[in-house]
Formats: sequence, C-alpha cells, structure tokens
Amino acid sequence: MNKQTKVWLVLSIALSLLAISSSCGGNKTEGPAPNTNGGAATAAKWTGGTGSISGVVSFNGTPPAPKKIDTAADPVCGQKNPNLMTDDTMVKDGKLANVFVYIKEGTVEGGKKLADYSWDTPTTEVQLDQNGCHYAPHVLGVMVNQKLKITNSDATQHNIHPTPKLNQEWNQTQPNGAPPIEKAFNRAEILIPVKCNQHPWMKAYIGVMKTPLFAVSSDTGAYEIKGVPPGKYTVIAWREGQTPEEKPMEVTVTANGSAKADFSFGAAATSSIKPSLQMMPAIEFPMLGKH
Amino acid sequence: MNRGLNRFAILVACATFFLIIAGALVTSHDAGLATPDWPLSNGQVFPKMVGNLFWEHGHRMVATTVGMLTIVLLIYILVKEKRSWVRKLGVFALLAVIAQGLLGGLTVKLMLPLAVSSAHATLAQLFFCTTVSLAVFTSRSWIEARTLEEEKGSLPLRYLCTAALVTIFVQLILGATLRHSATWDQRLPVELVVTHILGAVAVTMALGSTGLTVLRRHKDEKFLTRPATIALSLLVVQLFLGVAAYLTRLRSPGDPQPLNPMVGITVAHVACGALVFVSTIVLTLRTYRVLPAPHEHSILAARPQES
Repeated sequence: MNKQTKVWLVLSIALSLLAISSSCGGNKTEGPAPNTNGGAATAAKWTGGTGSISGVVSFNGTPPAPKKIDTAADPVCGQKNPNLMTDDTMVKDGKLANVFVYIKEGTVEGGKKLADYSWDTPTTEVQLDQNGCHYAPHVLGVMVNQKLKITNSDATQHNIHPTPKLNQEWNQTQPNGAPPIEKAFNRAEILIPVKCNQHPWMKAYIGVMKTPLFAVSSDTGAYEIKGVPPGKYTVIAWREGQTPEEKPMEVTVTANGSAKADFSFGAAATSSIKPSLQMMPAIEFPMLGKH
Repeated sequence: MNRGLNRFAILVACATFFLIIAGALVTSHDAGLATPDWPLSNGQVFPKMVGNLFWEHGHRMVATTVGMLTIVLLIYILVKEKRSWVRKLGVFALLAVIAQGLLGGLTVKLMLPLAVSSAHATLAQLFFCTTVSLAVFTSRSWIEARTLEEEKGSLPLRYLCTAALVTIFVQLILGATLRHSATWDQRLPVELVVTHILGAVAVTMALGSTGLTVLRRHKDEKFLTRPATIALSLLVVQLFLGVAAYLTRLRSPGDPQPLNPMVGITVAHVACGALVFVSTIVLTLRTYRVLPAPHEHSILAARPQES
C-alpha cells in the first residue's frame, strides 16, 4: 500500500465516521429537543451563582375604564360571568398587571453574551385556562418547546387560535368537557396573540423565550425574574395594545444580588425608547459578597 | 318565455344576495375561523350555533341552500330554455357556485390567507352577477325588447356602461381585499384605504356619467332609465355608507368586540356595493340588448341617405 493510497484510506474512514456520527446526531434532534431551547447545540450552561431582577410596574395617569362585554351570543358566558369586562389594562392602586418583563440581551459576567448560554426546557407545563369566557392568565410566558396545557373550564365550546409570526399558526376547537390540549412553540417569539374565534373578546398573549429569564407583573404590579447569571442586561417591559409598548432598561445583576427595575406606562410615563435618567435610580446594584 | 323559470331565477338571485350578506356578517364578526373544520363544523353537520359559530355555520347553511337552488335552476334551464347561450350560462353558474364553495373551504383550511379570502369575496360578486343575468335573460322585458334604431350621441353607451362595470368590479376587488386585510380589532392598512377611496371617486365618475348619459339620451326608454336611476340612487347611498363604514371601523379596534353599528354599516356597505354592481350589469345588458353596436349604428344611420 503506497503512501497516497494510505492517505485516501484514512480520509475515507474519517469521512465515513463523520457521516455516521452526523446521521446519529440527526436522529437525536428529531422532535422537540429538551436541551437546545432553539439555540445553538454547543451553548454552555451557567453553573455559577445567580441573582434576580425585581420591580413594580406602575400606570401613570387615569387608566382607561374596562368595557363591558356583551355575551348575548353565548348565554353560557353571561351565566358564568355576568359582569365580563375587558382585561387589557388591569390597574389597581396605580399598579399595572399583565406586563411581560424579560431579559432581551446582555453580557454575562466573564464576557460571554447571554445568547451563548442555554437553559434546560422545564418539564413542567404551563396552563392556559378558559374560564368564564376569558383566558386565564391573560399574559403568560413559556420556554421554547415547553408544554402549554390548554383547558376549558366553561360549559361551552371555545376555539384556541394563536396567531404567531414566527411559529406555526393553529386553530383548534375545544368543546366543554374535552381533554386538555397540549401544544408547544419551537421558536422564540415576543409575544404571540391568542384569540378565540367563537368569542372575539377573548384574548391572551404568550411570550415564547429561549431562557427562563422572564416574569409577568401581578395584580400589585410586582414581578421578579429569578436565576439571572451576574451580568449587564437590557430588560424589556412589554405591554399589550394596538401597537404593543416596550420599555427597555439597562440592569446590572450580581451573584446572589437583587437588582431593582421599576417600569411605568400610561400617559405620563417616560419615553419607551431609552431609559431616562429618572428611571436609572430605580436600579439597585447589590453588594458583592452579600451572601 | 317561461314565467316560472324567470321567477325561479329571481329567487336564486335573491338567495345569492342574502348569501352575500351572510358572508359579510362572517367577515365583520371575525367568525371565519369559528370552526377549523370544513365542510363540517366542529365535526358536525348541525353544531350548537353559539358565539361566532352562529355566523359561520349559518353562512355555510345559506351557501348550501344557494348551491342546491343553483342545481335546480340549471335543471330548470336545461328543460325549459331553448337558447344555448343561456343554457351555457346556467352551467357556468353551477361551476361558479361549486368553485365558490371550494374557495370558502380552502380559506378556512388555510386560515384565511388574504388572497384566498379576497378571491372568495370577489367570486361571490361574480356569481351574484351570473344569477342576476340569468334572471334578466329569462325575463319577458328582455325577450320582448325591441332594438332602438338610433344611438343618440357620439360616445356609444355600450362602451360607457362597460367602462363603469369594469371600474365597479375593480372597486369590489379592492373593497374585498381591504375588508380581509385586517380584522375588527386591527387598524386598516392606510394604503388600501386610500386606494379604495380613489376607487370610489373613479366609480362615481364612471357610473355617474354613464347613468346621466342614459337619462339624458333615452329619457323615454324605461327599459334603460329604470336600471340607470336605480344604479345612481344606490351609488349615492353607497357613498354615504362608505363614509359611515370607515368612521365606525376606525373606532372598532378600541371596542371589546365587533359592535352592531360597525357590523351593520359595513355589511350594508358590502350589500349596497353588490346592488350597485348588479344594477349596472342590468343596465349594461339592456344597453347591449336594445342599442345597436357602434358599427351597426353607423349602418343604420346611413340607411336614410341610401334610400
């Protein structure tokens, strides 16, 4: 066997092994991959200490009054929920609920980008219920490929219809008493509107994220994003609307620290393009070694 | 002439008009996807018609009825009608209603893509045009109409009517596209609104000049003045409805659900648009029926000199 033949033989074996390994790898990636989160397969996992970001979302000015919904088209809705009102602006004592707050991007301690890290897809499912001809919760977040369990607690049929731009659109009827519908979205998307074509007032919004670094403001306007690797991030507060509003804020998180980021919406709210100087003091820089 | 056939053709045309209203109600209520199934609704022939399923399944029931009526009309035509072109038009009507049903199913299965939904709405108008034409062709007034010997004026009415008809049809396509480009809770695309408004100006000019020309040139010919008067009157109503529909539609994204004023006025705008279209079709057909073609006109005009 001459030298040239040996070289060709080695190359052939190497290529064959490469082909076999890539084909095996292909089989592994079929269907929802629990660990990829739609990101790069080689993404690292953060193993160090983490901190959190929390804050309160306020509504400045007089919020729009909720509007009464006419449920005459489906008496079941009226019987279960006689005072069904719109839930697009839920304000209590000046605090705004249903604002989706998430880390958009940033640099993790050590210099790597947040996008260079991956998180395991939670095995727990997120529930979206139809109760009183109303989606509950109104705004929710899931991770890419995380199971979304949709239930119908009403004595009437509903029709779940997400209208994403990046994910697959689907439309499915769920009669009363039908088993839960389980779905997942395989691409990150902010945020997917969900409607019910049978009851046009029913709306929900689903944020699909590559990371678990998101939260939704509660009735008191409070939110908390846990498990944040130390670093500098752009945090976005998203609020539904004809044109959804987004408020960005730069936040620094330290290991085991708790950064504060308050947001405000409404007529007198500050600009949504860049965080103003007035907003900056709301960010606290926790002391290192606090633990 | 068979009076029974004509009455049945009128019945089918009226049913088609009702079907257009039912379809417009589906669009205005955003009920097109109230069931993801087709041809069944949620796997049933007669589902419980609550919520928006009332509008979508109701539309399907009316459409099925119109499809059945069209089959009966075709059989009636094949039995009673001697004119081969009328028989062919009957066959065309059946093919059109089948295509319309398939387009309706396709738009549901594909989740209302703009092109398919707009094509469905446009074909609805063409099918209505066909059924009205069948009613016209089987009528006594059509069969007994006498040819007028002179076309008063230099610009032939046939051309004017055809131009008006084409302008209205283009405007109907624009309207259908505009309606299906945004649901009640979304803002209408500005460029389409502007185009539709410009279309309204074009229709007003084309139909206005045609109608007035008919009334001026043939004021004693009820066969022509009646559809012209109806078309002009409907045009005025349609313009007001258009403004009202736009104003109510501007507000609707802020509403909790499609409200009756917006639904009622936009559906009336669609229905009145269909009536403007078919009244112009009747006018155009009658113009072709009684007025000589331009070249015939010149021959007729030359006759006295020859004698």
